[in-house]
Amino acid sequence: MSLDLHKIAGQIQDVASDLNANEGDRESRLERALSTLTSAQPEALEKKRVKSRANFSPIAGLGESMAGRYPYPALPSDYTVLAVDGSHIDVDRHLAVQCYLINMGTVHIRYGLNPEARLGSEPRLYTDEDSMHIIDPEGNRTQSLEGQLLGELRAVEELRTLATLAKETDPDIPALALIDGSLILWGLVGQTYPDFVRRVLMDDIYLPALDELREMAKQRPLALASYISLPRSADVVNVLRLDAHQCPYDVSNCDDHCGSLRPGQRPCDAVSGVVDRDVLGSLLDGEERSDSFINTSVTVERYYGEHAVHFYYLNAGAEMARVEVPAWVAESPELLELSHAMLIDQCRKGHGYPIAISEAHEQAVVTTKDREEFQLMLEGALQDHRLPVYTSQKNFSKRMKWL
Amino acid sequence: MNLDNNETRLGEVVETSTTGFVTQCYQLYGAPALGALVKSGGPHPAYGVVHHVATQGIDPTRRPVARGQNEATEEDVYKSNPQLAHLLRTDFQAVVVGHSTDDGIRYHLPPTPPPIYAFVHLCSNEEVVKFTANPAFLRPLATSNIIALEEVVASCLRYVASMHEDTEKFLTGAGKQLAAFFPGDFRRVETILQRAIS
Repeated sequence: MSLDLHKIAGQIQDVASDLNANEGDRESRLERALSTLTSAQPEALEKKRVKSRANFSPIAGLGESMAGRYPYPALPSDYTVLAVDGSHIDVDRHLAVQCYLINMGTVHIRYGLNPEARLGSEPRLYTDEDSMHIIDPEGNRTQSLEGQLLGELRAVEELRTLATLAKETDPDIPALALIDGSLILWGLVGQTYPDFVRRVLMDDIYLPALDELREMAKQRPLALASYISLPRSADVVNVLRLDAHQCPYDVSNCDDHCGSLRPGQRPCDAVSGVVDRDVLGSLLDGEERSDSFINTSVTVERYYGEHAVHFYYLNAGAEMARVEVPAWVAESPELLELSHAMLIDQCRKGHGYPIAISEAHEQAVVTTKDREEFQLMLEGALQDHRLPVYTSQKNFSKRMKWL
Repeated sequence: MNLDNNETRLGEVVETSTTGFVTQCYQLYGAPALGALVKSGGPHPAYGVVHHVATQGIDPTRRPVARGQNEATEEDVYKSNPQLAHLLRTDFQAVVVGHSTDDGIRYHLPPTPPPIYAFVHLCSNEEVVKFTANPAFLRPLATSNIIALEEVVASCLRYVASMHEDTEKFLTGAGKQLAAFFPGDFRRVETILQRAIS
C-alpha cells in the first residue's frame, strides 16, 4: 500500500492551524531581533560573543557594522560566470557490481561584447577497489566511500572542477566562480569519520583547490562564492541573543545561568525561533546585501586557514539568499562588490536564482530513469562478458510487483 | 572521414524512415527554407524536400519562458543569455523525393533510408536545377501525406523555379505533372501554381 493520504490530512490541518496561531508571536520576536540588530553596538557584542559560552551556536563573527545595507553595485560590462554542480549514483549493495557514479555539470557563460556559453557534463564511474574506499596514507585503515561521505567527495570534486574551469577562462575580464550550497564541508568534520578521511579529502584536494583559486584571484578579478537558497541558519540571530536586551549577564554562560530553565523560558528566547533570513530580509531592500560576517565555527577556524568562510545575506528579489565567500574575497572590497553585482545579475537572468547554477544542475542531474538505464547497462555489460549478474532477493522483490 | 562541403552542411539525421528523415541543425534556426532541396549522406544518398521546421528546447521537460521584457531587441535576449543557443534546437523534416546512385539520379525511394547521423547538405543551385529538370521529382512529394501539402509543394516550386533559366517552362512542366497526380482537381493544381508564382 502507498501512503494513506486520508489519515494524514487531519494532521496537516493541525500543523497549519498551529502555524497560524504562532504567527503573532513570531512577528514580535522578529521585531525584537531586528531592533537589536539595528541598535546594538557590534564591537561590544563581539567582545561578549568571544567571551561567552553559549549552548546555541553564535558563530557569526561581527565586524564594525552589522546592520549595514549595500546597494546593487555597478555590474562590469563584460563578465564571466562559472558554475559547477554534481550529482551521483550511490553505491547500492543490491546491485550486481559495487560502484558509484559522479556526474559533474559545468557551466561557463561569458556576457558582454563577445557573449558565449559552454555547457557540459562529465560522468565518471568508479569501481576499482582504491576508489571504493578512502585509504589512510600513513597506515592500512580504510573508510568506505558511500552515503554521506560520497556526498562530501562530490562536493570536494565540485570545487576541484571549478578551479580547473577557472584556469580556462579569459583572465582579462572579471569572473565569478559559483558553487551551489555551502563552502563548509559540514558533513566531513561533523561526523565521526577518522581524521585521515578529512586529511585526504580536505587537506589533499579541497584546500589546494581553494589555494589555486586564491592564487588566480591575486592575478585577476576572480570571486569565489557559494549560494544558499532559502537558508535556515540562525548564526546572526544567535549572536543577537547574547545582547543585553536578551541576555542580562555580562558574560553569557548558558549552563551556569539558565541551566535550570526549559527552552522557551530563557530570557534570550525572546528572539529565538526566527532565522537570519527573516531578520536580514526585514532590513534589506531589493538587490541589497548585508554586512559580511565571519563563520567562527570550530570546523572553519581549525581547518580552513586563510580561506576562513565569511558570509553575507543578499536580497535577490524573490528570496533572501546566503552567500558564502572565502576571506580573500570578503576582505577585498572589489571582489566582494563583484560577487554582489554578478550574483544579482545572475538572479535577474535566472528568475530569482543564479542562472549558471541552475544550468549546471540541469547538466548534472541524474533522473530516476537514468538510474534505471544505468543499472540495465551495467547488467548488460556483465552479460556480454558472460559474468554472473546477481542481485539481492530484496531488489528482485521490488522489481516484481506480484500479488 | 569526408569533411567536404562543410559550408553547405546543415546538420545530421536524427530520425529516419523510408519516406522521410528529420535533421537536427548544427546552428539554432539553421534550417533551410520551406520547400528547399536537401541531400543526405549514407550508402544511398537521399534527396528530400523540407516540409516542416521546428525549434524547441533540447530537454522536452523544459519549456522556454519569456525573457525579453527588459531587452530592446530579440537579438539582445540571446546576447544576454548565451546559454540559450545550447539549450534550444532546430530540426527540420524532409520528405524523400529521390536518391542518387552511381548511375545518376533516381526519382523513386532509395532501397534503405539514410542512416542516423548521416550528414545533410543543402543542395547547390546547379544540383537543384539538375535534380528538378525532370518534374517526376514532384511525385513522392505531391502524393505524400504531409500536412499543408499544397503550401509545401508551392514553396518548393517557388524555391526551385527561381533557379531555372526558363521559369515559365519549368512551371508549365510542373503544372502538367501535378495535373496528372490530382486528376479532376484542376482548382487544386491552380491554387498551388498561383501560390508558387506569388
